[in-house]
Amino acid sequence: MNDPKVSIIIPVYQVEGFLERAVDSAIAQTLTEKEIILVDDGSTDGSPAICDRYAQAYPNLIRVIHQENAGLGMARNAGLDLCRGAYILFMDSDDTIDPQMCEEMYRRACADGDEIVMCDVCIHYVGEDRTSTVSTYPRREIDLADYIARGNNITYSVNKLFARSVWEGVRYEKMLFEDIALIPALVTRHPRIGYVPKAFYHYYRRPDTLSTSAVGATSDIVRAFELFLAGGNPRLRQEIVYCIAKQLLWNITQSRPLFQADFITFLQSHRQDFLLNPYIGSDARVKKLLDYMKTPVIPDRIICAHIGRPIPEAYRAEISRDFPYAELIEADETTFPAETLPESVREALRTGKTAYAEEYVALRILAQQGGIVLAPEMRANLNLKKLRLNTVFFGFEGQEALTAGCFGAVADHYAVRALLDSYEGACIHNRALLPLKDRLRDFLILNFHLKPNGRKQLLKHEIQVYLPDVLAYDMKDGENCCKRADLPAPEGFEVIGESALKMWSDRILENWALYKQALGKLPPAQRKSAPEPPPAAGISPAELERALDRRTQEVMAAYENSTSWRLTKPVRALGRIIHRGGKNP
Amino acid sequence: MDARILIVANSVYQLLTALHLRRTLLSGAQADLLLTDLIPDRDRLAERLAPHGLFTRVLRADCANFNREFAGQRDSGLDPAFQDIPRKLGWMVDGALGAYDQIYFSNFDPFTRLLACCYYAPACDFICYEDGFSTYVIDFLRPDRAPVNRHPEGKKIADKVRAVLLYEPRLAMRGDDLENHRIPQISAGDAEFRELLNEIFAYRPPEIRSDFIFLEQSFRAENIRTNDLDLMRLCRDAVGPERFTVKPHPRNTDDLPALLGLTHRYPAGVPWELSLLNGEAAHCTVITVCSNAALTPRIVFGMDLNTVMLYPLFEGRVLWKEDDVLRRYLRAFQLQFAGRNYFVPRTVYELREILGFLGGKA
Repeated sequence: MNDPKVSIIIPVYQVEGFLERAVDSAIAQTLTEKEIILVDDGSTDGSPAICDRYAQAYPNLIRVIHQENAGLGMARNAGLDLCRGAYILFMDSDDTIDPQMCEEMYRRACADGDEIVMCDVCIHYVGEDRTSTVSTYPRREIDLADYIARGNNITYSVNKLFARSVWEGVRYEKMLFEDIALIPALVTRHPRIGYVPKAFYHYYRRPDTLSTSAVGATSDIVRAFELFLAGGNPRLRQEIVYCIAKQLLWNITQSRPLFQADFITFLQSHRQDFLLNPYIGSDARVKKLLDYMKTPVIPDRIICAHIGRPIPEAYRAEISRDFPYAELIEADETTFPAETLPESVREALRTGKTAYAEEYVALRILAQQGGIVLAPEMRANLNLKKLRLNTVFFGFEGQEALTAGCFGAVADHYAVRALLDSYEGACIHNRALLPLKDRLRDFLILNFHLKPNGRKQLLKHEIQVYLPDVLAYDMKDGENCCKRADLPAPEGFEVIGESALKMWSDRILENWALYKQALGKLPPAQRKSAPEPPPAAGISPAELERALDRRTQEVMAAYENSTSWRLTKPVRALGRIIHRGGKNP
Repeated sequence: MDARILIVANSVYQLLTALHLRRTLLSGAQADLLLTDLIPDRDRLAERLAPHGLFTRVLRADCANFNREFAGQRDSGLDPAFQDIPRKLGWMVDGALGAYDQIYFSNFDPFTRLLACCYYAPACDFICYEDGFSTYVIDFLRPDRAPVNRHPEGKKIADKVRAVLLYEPRLAMRGDDLENHRIPQISAGDAEFRELLNEIFAYRPPEIRSDFIFLEQSFRAENIRTNDLDLMRLCRDAVGPERFTVKPHPRNTDDLPALLGLTHRYPAGVPWELSLLNGEAAHCTVITVCSNAALTPRIVFGMDLNTVMLYPLFEGRVLWKEDDVLRRYLRAFQLQFAGRNYFVPRTVYELREILGFLGGKA
């Protein structure tokens, strides 16, 4: 077989429901001199068998590679290594392409000797029954600088036909957002770009794909921007920066707010690029991005002090999964020279009170470098990323007690420095080798007027103190960022401190009362009918008890899932305003 | 010729210092002692003092009513206090006052001012000696402090006072121009003096020993609304009721902490300082809002007891006009003189932590 004009590379992973549609659309290409390479990236569903069936059915057209799961970019690389076409087209295994795509784009490439030819994209929003066509560029001829600055679909691999030469010595990185990392940079380095303004490519956007779900590896997007910036043509740097700025703004404000701290850190590390960019300067909407640059962000650093005990494997696994780019500082008694340790810490080490020394060591690193202290017995989750947007944060673990298991700060913050300094001298915390959480509470009460009431509060406009559900216990309300893992609980249960649980119950009852109160003020027509009373006659007390329990559960579930929080929101907000306006206790 | 002196004592603490002065700075003088009826059990004390021959005479003055009547008066209301002075003194004092070169006193009360008027013309100096922190922090003679300081007779004492005797002159913060002289510390090892005091005060060791003694202050007697009872309760809960005692202040008319069940009754009539000298308090922790009696061990006896000062947690004024100076005084004490066992908790949590560290409940 002669070398094909176009190789269509389709990475395949767990797409048994969509694969045939995709492959069929590739087979249906009107361009006859083509090859299709299916790269099964370690699928465990019926996809590999489907691939093999197609290969058997079209032995001269389709080849299959089976490999261990390595990710989309690696699968594409495998296809690149095998393909023979003069041009290369990527498509995703859950998308489709129009029959004329290869033919028309190939013709365009040959006509002008283009290295890259682009088309438009039709996005199908799965589950929403709507589509939209995204035009790649408003004019037929591509003005590269203008395209980078103002064009669309720039980061896609799939709406582009690449000359084989473009891929010489170039491969995708093993990461999420491998497209963003590579494709726009490639585009900037290959100015001979053609464009067929037709929406050949059909992108089926599903809400639950890896690229739209928040996982730890989503942070790859920042690395992707870094690679785009580093790999792009330096002569187009202003346009590249503007292009990234637009994507950053969308990510920060709409798409991935959970990763805001990562984006801001990126912005801050390229301050001059963004602040001096003329495109951003004249674009009022994108210019808002610059405001984020002023936000202090806690460094992506996890500080774990462990003296005389290893860091649990589960701890490491959690960090690798949810914070893959975080620097994990593992500290112990040797981290700082003994002679630089305060007397109380030395005494703690002498007398085996290692928890005291661990807390000091972690705090000292925090003061110097900033980050998030996470004790070995704690387990963080992805939500912890959000807390990096604080200057300093702590959390309650009960009504009055704070947790020292997880807290964070920017580097060299005066409050953390002062807390660290308190280890010198003869205060009771040093004399009695008291745990950091006691020191912390007293310190915050004295210096920042913390109210030891277990409630969320912002001290002096910058020290955030969270409820117990955020940093100590998982109350299953979606707020938890970190919880204790040293107290085992049966599957499906959570360990909650008594004080925190009582607070929580009180709060729910309080809100229930507010909800009832708000409901009572509604006109009768808007009220939901009262629940039917359980049948009282002819049933046993045990049945009645069960019925009551059921009903209670129903009411509670209805409340939890209902508009109660929304209804009570103005009341609670008003309460907070009144409380703030009142005299401090 | 030996100086002729009169020492006026209004309290047990003043009497203790008076006896100490007599044995030290004033050992060569011809001294009369005047005990006022402000001292509980004054007459028996006077009887027990007489045989020791420390003083030429032990006089008694019944001036409590007189002081009470005129303490709050202003302007012309004070006039009657200073009329017919010799007769008034003759009525109040149980013997004839002599000719004195120096009169030692602690309180600038109407009775002392009466003495100043009486001895205004003669060459008789008035020397103030320590009566707790007030002697360190209050300028009692400042004209704007009290109406009596502006009264023509009442203010005469200002012309007569020459110096102030303090156990620790470096802590003086009154802001007046009076010279401060040091009273020697009382040696805790001075067995002879201790025995003398034990006899005079008929000291008996307390039947109940507590690990934590809360020294009450006279806030209620002075109608100052405070949270001292809350603080007592907090301390009791932190250390356990069986190990906690409140020592009532003698000026408070009732033992409210005991009545409220916060403490068992502290044995009455046992001078605190004598307990200290007899080593009864050596093992215990002293807790107080800011009573000078908690500082006494350090200032007067050079002892370093576990001491917990609660003034940062106190709600209310200790002194009507000199609270800020008092805070400076306490701070200066903490910085310059307090030992390692002196604690000033700044939050209730710190208080619990400190009491736990000192042996309370963990």
